Amino acid sequence: MLRDMFKKTYTRLDSKYRSDRSADGQEEPNIPEGLWRKCNKCGRPIYTEDVIENFYVCPKCKGYFRVHAYRRFEMIADTDSFEEWDKEMDFVNPLDFAGYEKKFQAVKEKTNLNEAIVTGKVLIEGEAAVMGVCDSRFFMSSMGYNVGEKITRAVERATEERLPVILYCCSGGARMQEGLVSLMQMAKTSAALKRHQDAGLLYVTVLTDPTTGGVTASFAMLGDLILAEPGALIGFAGPRVIEQTIGQKLPEGFQRAEFLLEHGFVDCIVERKEQKAFLAKILRMHRASTKAQGIRNLFESEMAKAAELQMQEENPKESKQGEESKESKRDGGKKTAWDTVLLSRKASRPPASSYIQALFTDFIECHGDRLYRDDGAIVGGIALFHGCPVTVIAQEKGKNTKDNIKCNFGMPSPEGYRKALRLMKQAEKFNRPVICLVDTPGAFCGMEAEERGQGEAIARNLFEMSSLKVPVLTLVIGEGGSGGALALAVSNEVWMMENAVYSILSPEGFASILWKDSKKAAEAARVMKMTSRDLLEMGLIEKVIAEPEPVEMKNLPEIAKEIENSVQEFLEKYGRMSEAEVVEHRYRRFRRM
Amino acid sequence: MFHKILIANRGEIAVRIIRACREMGIKTVAVYSEADREALHTLLADEAICIGPASSLESYLNMERILSATVAMKADAIHPGFGFLSENARFAELCQKCHIAFIGPSAQIIHKMGNKSEARKTMMEANVPVVPGSREPVYTVEEAEKMAEEIGYPVMIKASSGGGGKGMRISRSSEDFAANFQNAQMESINGFSDDTMYIEKYIEQPRHIEFQILADKYGNVLHLGERDCSIQRRHQKVMEESPSAAISPELRKQMGEMAVRAAKAVNYENAGTIEFLLDKNKQFYFMEMNTRIQVEHPVTEMVTGIDLIQEQIRIAAGEKLSLRQEDIHINGHAIECRINAENPSKHFMPCPGLITNVHVPGGNGVRIDTAIYNNYRVPPNYDSMLLKLIVHGNDRASAIEKMRSALGELIIEGIETNLDFEYEIINNEDFQKGNIDTDFIPKHFNV
Repeated sequence: MLRDMFKKTYTRLDSKYRSDRSADGQEEPNIPEGLWRKCNKCGRPIYTEDVIENFYVCPKCKGYFRVHAYRRFEMIADTDSFEEWDKEMDFVNPLDFAGYEKKFQAVKEKTNLNEAIVTGKVLIEGEAAVMGVCDSRFFMSSMGYNVGEKITRAVERATEERLPVILYCCSGGARMQEGLVSLMQMAKTSAALKRHQDAGLLYVTVLTDPTTGGVTASFAMLGDLILAEPGALIGFAGPRVIEQTIGQKLPEGFQRAEFLLEHGFVDCIVERKEQKAFLAKILRMHRASTKAQGIRNLFESEMAKAAELQMQEENPKESKQGEESKESKRDGGKKTAWDTVLLSRKASRPPASSYIQALFTDFIECHGDRLYRDDGAIVGGIALFHGCPVTVIAQEKGKNTKDNIKCNFGMPSPEGYRKALRLMKQAEKFNRPVICLVDTPGAFCGMEAEERGQGEAIARNLFEMSSLKVPVLTLVIGEGGSGGALALAVSNEVWMMENAVYSILSPEGFASILWKDSKKAAEAARVMKMTSRDLLEMGLIEKVIAEPEPVEMKNLPEIAKEIENSVQEFLEKYGRMSEAEVVEHRYRRFRRM
Repeated sequence: MFHKILIANRGEIAVRIIRACREMGIKTVAVYSEADREALHTLLADEAICIGPASSLESYLNMERILSATVAMKADAIHPGFGFLSENARFAELCQKCHIAFIGPSAQIIHKMGNKSEARKTMMEANVPVVPGSREPVYTVEEAEKMAEEIGYPVMIKASSGGGGKGMRISRSSEDFAANFQNAQMESINGFSDDTMYIEKYIEQPRHIEFQILADKYGNVLHLGERDCSIQRRHQKVMEESPSAAISPELRKQMGEMAVRAAKAVNYENAGTIEFLLDKNKQFYFMEMNTRIQVEHPVTEMVTGIDLIQEQIRIAAGEKLSLRQEDIHINGHAIECRINAENPSKHFMPCPGLITNVHVPGGNGVRIDTAIYNNYRVPPNYDSMLLKLIVHGNDRASAIEKMRSALGELIIEGIETNLDFEYEIINNEDFQKGNIDTDFIPKHFNV
């Protein structure tokens, strides 16, 4: 080894190179006080500037620090747009609790806040909204009379001024010092939000660390959209209380935002640096003028198309006959019903998520049924179609094996149908058309599905969809497997892709029930009349959308174009109808079957 | 002048800096990770301090530990070398806050030049030519074609999400533009579900030419000629030389002046490199500026006789440049080969391990910059570069001969290296004739 073999040469310290730093007025190298702070999550030293630039997220462990209410306004609101409401509130002490006032004053002085929540009106990328932010430094942001009152006033005023509400939640729960009065705030805020909801207005909550107790059990969980920050603790009972009660240690990740997402209570987890843009997008999509503009776009394009049609009529070469002959040529092929069944199941067919990407813009996926779980087999959310907001709900099979498993091969569980219903009800509230994409071998068949009421979930969808006040369109893009498909197809119109199928049962199942021989599936496919052509002829569907061959990802833009034109026509047609007409139309559609 | 310098780096560049300091009579402090206890820089420096485990994030990239080490060892300056923290504006800023001299430009300059679009903007404002093209995305043929006209054919059509040649087309005239654009866009839509496209000038047979800059704190800027680094594999330089066979004294003067102008435009300070692309018609375009010492700096040292590391230290200590542009003469020709611990037959997979035997060439005009020795174990945690072999000859042909001879004498046993690959390049006829561009390796080698 070479260790200690080299001659060290630090002897020749030439005077030329020597200088006295202090004589030059230079300071000796040192690390100034406060340059580093210790991350309270990972314990490593972090540079304060880095933390501020990184939206108060530790650059090393990505842990989220709690944010002061006014900082939060700075992060989210447009510069100088924040107008604070109810800044001064009188101190209340309903129990005459000893020492409360003294402590309250001390906290007030320390934090420069007058209560645990700051409310007011803001602009977010130009979109007006009422916003409230809890601040954990103030009695752990517990909800006493003043907190409940400020929220209630803000919500009432938002209802009056027809503004959306965004609440950044964070709380230890009820304020103990105020006794039952504090508990009543849960009911008071919820009641105000119900009125806001009944007025058809948007309410978004952002759950931050920690959101617990009475706040979780009231305004935090009532958002039309519930967002959460990564890793935030969210729960009703705090983890320590649960551990003490059940006498067990809770698993890692329990009650964290990701856990709630998986369990269906959070729509999406949004990183802090994305939140402003995300909220602005949500606001834009729910703004009345967006819808009006969307509809205007649709009508304009209709007029353009009418003009084009007129041109075509003047030019007899391009007659409608051309189209028909094209179609008949296609029919002339020797494709059997069984061939179509196989085509509809082909793994290379684009999954629903790709159709969503091709047909819509600005898709915001909303997760969870708010009851039990988020089902990967159903993908749903809000999107724009030619600028017009719509709710999209799709059965997703996934693109690769990993996705397939996550999506359970497109076989929805009860919670999937319940998520779909939740999103449809939301669409109804905001008067958005619903577009469903069906691609399922059938509803998931398993013990868990039965335990949670697969039958009930499907039935509930048929029941509720029948009276949805907004237009509903269903497009079968692959397999339309039985009740599992119908639960997304109680619509004003049902369309099928040329090589899709829609049936009471799989041909294999049909053959085995009727003929005790599942090998006769090909024969069954023929007699079952499950192809798009058969069903169109029988009057069970309204439209067949031509497909190029083979149907693969690379053809998707072409296929999407075809669908897009028809969807546009659909939206125009039903956009003209009143709510009652839309409901009646759907009722009649099934009444005649 | 500094009393003691801490070298916030490892490997051959740390050794190179230690040597420069020693020659100047400055004490050195090496920092090392647990994996580098026996590394040459650790052993050579006057003092050495361990700054953490093998992972670079925990050691050579850990600013707190390096700054604390500097204060603890009472060093008054940090030389960052290349890689690691050398172009980290935050680190430069922290050094300043801790009253430690950072041997390199200021945090502001690092930040400015590190941001590609801002650097481009700054250069355009200073009238330094940049690759013409759209920074704005385009979506329609009409828009794109208008842009192509403005830029001038040939143009490169590029998908924003593209990669591996997908969503990429070259259009040579307006005739084939529309078809090419639509094809590229379709590929991008199908492959990446994204129709965002960019149009930029297509540079034919580009050479990577970079100019070495020295600038002091008093606004004096000079250039030390160019390096031709066109021999690259996946944007990794493999062999570099100075001067470039493609550059005449007139062009050198012109490009050098442009490089000086670029450096002055940002009030540059310390050593830096301006990278240009040079097309077959000798048009050149600014690519980016590197705000640090480069791996290939020795070729410039060999042809100019200037010790760049010592210059860096003097500049950081506040000394004026003692040279003027007219003092700089390019003497002969220098070539550098980078010998890496990697296996060319396995897609250049890094292959660290124990070096059982090293024999290095020597003789007139042969220089070795390395940190390896017999029985040294190359750790798997860091860059795979083992050694830089630099030769200096009277002209390009004699430099090539010298390199061939030196490569033949270089022996590294125990691990795989790319030595034979370098040997093949030096023996390549096109290389010898100076017919090289950035496509040289893909064109001549099936790698």
